[in-house]
Amino acid sequence: MAASSANPQDLAAQLERLEQIVRRLEAPDLDLDEALKLFEEGVERLRAARERLAQAELKVKKVLEHLDR
Amino acid sequence: MGRPLDLFAAASPEGAWTVSQVTRRAHAVVEAGLPPLWVRGEVSGFKAWQSGHWYFALRDKAAQLRCVMFGRDNRRLPAPPSEGMQVFAFGQPTVWDEKGEFRLTVYELLSTEEGGLWKLQFEKAKAALARDGLLEPGRKRALPRFPMRIAVITSPDGAALKDIIAVMGRRWPVAELIVLPAQVQGDSAEYELCSALAALRRLEVDVAIIGRGGGSKEDLWTFNRERVARAVAASAVPVISAVGHETDITLCDLVADWRAPTPSAAAEAATPDRDDVRAALEQLGQRLGRGLTTRAQRAGDLLARSQDRLVGALERRLERLGDRLAAHGAHLDALSPLKILGRGYAVARDARGDVLRRIAQFSPGLAFRLRVSDGEVPARAEQS
Repeated sequence: MAASSANPQDLAAQLERLEQIVRRLEAPDLDLDEALKLFEEGVERLRAARERLAQAELKVKKVLEHLDR
Repeated sequence: MGRPLDLFAAASPEGAWTVSQVTRRAHAVVEAGLPPLWVRGEVSGFKAWQSGHWYFALRDKAAQLRCVMFGRDNRRLPAPPSEGMQVFAFGQPTVWDEKGEFRLTVYELLSTEEGGLWKLQFEKAKAALARDGLLEPGRKRALPRFPMRIAVITSPDGAALKDIIAVMGRRWPVAELIVLPAQVQGDSAEYELCSALAALRRLEVDVAIIGRGGGSKEDLWTFNRERVARAVAASAVPVISAVGHETDITLCDLVADWRAPTPSAAAEAATPDRDDVRAALEQLGQRLGRGLTTRAQRAGDLLARSQDRLVGALERRLERLGDRLAAHGAHLDALSPLKILGRGYAVARDARGDVLRRIAQFSPGLAFRLRVSDGEVPARAEQS
């Protein structure tokens, strides 16, 4: 995968990379081999992003240790 | 003091005080007994002199206090007070020796309508922040598009937190909300807010919201503290400030990267709507598919065109080869021995088929065959 494959949890990075892939794929001067690779990566990122968006409920956590300084 | 014995002890040799002595003494007593203080009252008889000094009186129902505000002090004020205006005046009560007048030398004057003391503090802190460039619009950072960890600094049991949780739960439930509880009013509020802001550094969040619900000016005041504003400005991550209602603008709002009118609005500003993100994602998915299809189709077209060109080239090449073969054929034909025989030559060969080239090979009586243009003739050498 490309160098920019960041933390899979990082939705922002996933979506940005996906946008980048789509733009590259839409460019006219792309090698077919590369197009296939990009497509595969895109599908994988699409899947990961969908999964990330599926979390049903907001997690709320209280942090108290900052007052102990 | 005030006992006759003291007064006599302080008397001049003439047995009575001079006016100057009395006024000087009164001057000293007043200044010693009344340190610089804030006085609240109504402006009356205001007069601005050529010299730049202002003279007026502060009044309430029962008394009045003569005031002077020198040019060097009133120069900083945006406008002189109007007649009847309720003001706070900060000054030194003193005695004006020349006129024997008890008065207040005013250093600072604030209209109570504009917030009075509060405004003074606000403006001073704001000026200090501006001096350090903390109010520059260029300092404001963009909010992250898809925050996954969002910190909220507010009262743990306030309406603000409930509102924020409700909005985020509806719009962007994929995130994690990290609540840093802090008193938002009262004595410990300043310390707790600063401490929570400092803790952001260790929590690896994408964005932070600091705020509280509406309240009185006094309730919101901690968010106007210079220390709190500086802690907001020092945050490593973008900060959204949401203090009170739409109309309350605090120093915290001014230094924050984004100012939201209410805590709910802060939650909206901090997060995208999941439905929108999903729609955008599916659109990207479609473009991904279309992109590949288009690319593959183009490759197919290219292949077909290449094939046509290849076949064409082969055909042309074969044609050229054919032409060359024909030319070679004609040439070969010209060199054929049959052609030479056609011109009247003949070839003699013995029974084994060897060509007889010299006289010596024709022994007398030798039978041989003679090849002429249209066939062979049996022949024999004459007996000599």
